[in-house]
Amino acid sequence: MMQAAGQVSGERGAWWRKKRTRELVLVTCLLLPSLAIFFLYRVLPLGWNLLLSVQYWSPLKPPRWAGLDHYEEMLLYDDVFWQSLKNTLIFIGASPFAIALALGIALLVNSDLKGAAVYRSIVFLSYPLMTVAVGIIWRWMYDERGGIINFALREIGLVAKPIPFLQSFDWALPSVIVAEIWQVLGFYMIIILTGLQSIPQHLYEAASIDGAPRLAQFWRITLPMLRPSLFLCAVVGILNSFTSFDLIYVMTNGGPGHATELLITHIYKSGFGQTKFDYAAALTVVQFILLLALTYLANRAAGGNAGSLERQ
Amino acid sequence: MIPMRRHSQYMRHAALVGVSAIMLLPFYWVLKTAVTNENIYAYPPRLLPESPHLFNFVDVWYFIPFPRYLLNSLVVSVLVVASNVVFNAMAAYALTKNFPGKRAMLLLFLSCMLIPFQATIIPAYLITSKLGLLNSYLGLAFPLLSTIVCIFVFKAAFEAVPQSLVDAARIDGLSEGRIILRVLMPLSTAAVATNVVLAFIWSWNAFLWPLIITREPTMQTLPLGLARFLSYMEDTTGALYAFAVMVLAPSIFVFLMAQKEFIRGLTSGATKG
Repeated sequence: MMQAAGQVSGERGAWWRKKRTRELVLVTCLLLPSLAIFFLYRVLPLGWNLLLSVQYWSPLKPPRWAGLDHYEEMLLYDDVFWQSLKNTLIFIGASPFAIALALGIALLVNSDLKGAAVYRSIVFLSYPLMTVAVGIIWRWMYDERGGIINFALREIGLVAKPIPFLQSFDWALPSVIVAEIWQVLGFYMIIILTGLQSIPQHLYEAASIDGAPRLAQFWRITLPMLRPSLFLCAVVGILNSFTSFDLIYVMTNGGPGHATELLITHIYKSGFGQTKFDYAAALTVVQFILLLALTYLANRAAGGNAGSLERQ
Repeated sequence: MIPMRRHSQYMRHAALVGVSAIMLLPFYWVLKTAVTNENIYAYPPRLLPESPHLFNFVDVWYFIPFPRYLLNSLVVSVLVVASNVVFNAMAAYALTKNFPGKRAMLLLFLSCMLIPFQATIIPAYLITSKLGLLNSYLGLAFPLLSTIVCIFVFKAAFEAVPQSLVDAARIDGLSEGRIILRVLMPLSTAAVATNVVLAFIWSWNAFLWPLIITREPTMQTLPLGLARFLSYMEDTTGALYAFAVMVLAPSIFVFLMAQKEFIRGLTSGATKG
C-alpha cells in the first residue's frame, strides 16, 4: 500500500519533472487570463447570441424555443429593419469614396515632400478622438445658425436659407456619413501609407527605364500592390457600420424618423430600449452575416487571399 | 520616389494645405465656440471669438458632476491599461513558445479579432449581469482587459529579442516570470508604449458598453456624461463645447506624445494580421 502510494507520487514527480509538461502548464497559465476574457466576451456571446435569436426570452421566465419566429417577424413585418439595412448598406457603400480620397492624400504625403509628417499628423489627428465628442462637434458644425457649414454656404451664395442638415430626411444620412469619413479618413491613409512603403522601389525604376508613364505606373504597379491594404480599408469601412453607433446616437439618434437608423442602432433600441433581447439578437445575427458576406466579397475583389490570416 | 520639379511640389503643398484646413476646421470651430461668451446662436456667427473667456470650462467643472465622470473614466482607464500590459505580455510570451495546439490557438485569436465587440452586446450584457458586475468599474473594464491586437504587438517585440539572452537568463536561474519582467519587458519598451496608448484610447473613448451597463450617474464615464449633458441642455450653451474640448484634450495629448507607437500598434494589427 505504502509502496504503491510512493510509486504513484514518484510517477507524478517524473510527470512534473518532464520539461514538456512543465512548459505546457506554464503556457496554459500565461494564456489563461486573456483566454478567459476572450471566451467570456467574444466566443461565448457569439454562441449565446445565436441561441437567443431562436428563443423567446424574458427577464423572469426561462427561455422557450421560438424557432425562426424572430427572423420571420424581422423579414416580413419590421419596416425599420429594412430601412436600417438599407441605411447600413449606404453607409458602407460610401467607404470606397473615402478610401479613394485617402489614397489620394496618401500619394501626396508619401514622398520626400517637406513637412509631409505634419500633414500626416493633421489628417490622422481626428481618428483617436472620442466619437461622442466628434458627433457633438459635427452636430454644431451643421447647425442652422451657429454652424459654420450653413454660414459658409450662405456666404458663398450657394443657398438662400440654411439647410437643417440633421433634421432633413434627405440630408441627415449623408451628413452623418461625412462626419464619419472625417474621423476615419486618417486611419485609411495610414493603412495605405504602410502599403505604399512596402512596394519595392525597383519596380518603379524598371518601369521608368521601360518608359512607362506615371499614370500607367500607378495603374499597373501601385494599385495592384496595394490590394492587401485596400482590402483592409474595406474591412474597416464595413466594421464602421457597427462602430458608428456613437456618432449616430449623438448626432441624430436614428432620426428624423428612421432616416439615419443603422442596424446597430436598431439593435440597441430593440434590445435595451424595448428589452426585446431575443429580437435584438436575431438582428445582430443578420448584421454579423452581412458583415462576413461583405468581407468575403471584398476579399474576392482584392484578389483572393489578400490580408491572409495565415501569414504570421 | 522620383525627384519632382519644384512646380509640382508647390501643387502638392497647396492640395495638402487645403486638406489640412478642412481636417482642422472642426477643431477650430469647437474651440471657438467653447470660449465664446455671447449668445452662440447669434447670426452671422463670428469667425473669431469676441473677448474670449474660460467661464464655460469653469461651468463644466462645477455645474455638472464632471469630477465624478473624470474619476470614473480614470479608474476604468487605469484598470484597462494596467491589465492590458500584464495580460498581453503574459499571453504573448506564451505564444513565442512552441506547444501543441499553438496553431489552433493563433487561429482562435485571429478569428476573435474579426468579431466586433458591438456584435456581442446583448449576451455580453447578460453575462456581466450574471457575474454581478453591472454598474461596477470591473464590469466597465472587463471586455477591454486584454486585446488581441496588443498581444500580437508584444509577440513581435518578444520575438525580436535574441533567444541567447533569454537562455542566458534561464541558466542564471531566473524564473519565467522574472524573464518577462527583467529581460523581455525592458527590451520592448516600444511595445509597452503601444499597449498603454491603445488601451488608454480605447477605454477613454468607449461609449456603447458603458451606456449599456451603467444605470447610475455616479458610475458614468466622461462620454456618457457628455451625451447626458447634450440631452439635458441640447446644444444651447458654450459649456457643452467646453466639455467636449476637455474630454478631447487628453487623447489629443496622448496621441501627439506617442504618435509613432500609436500608429505602429494600429498598423501592426492591420498588416501582420
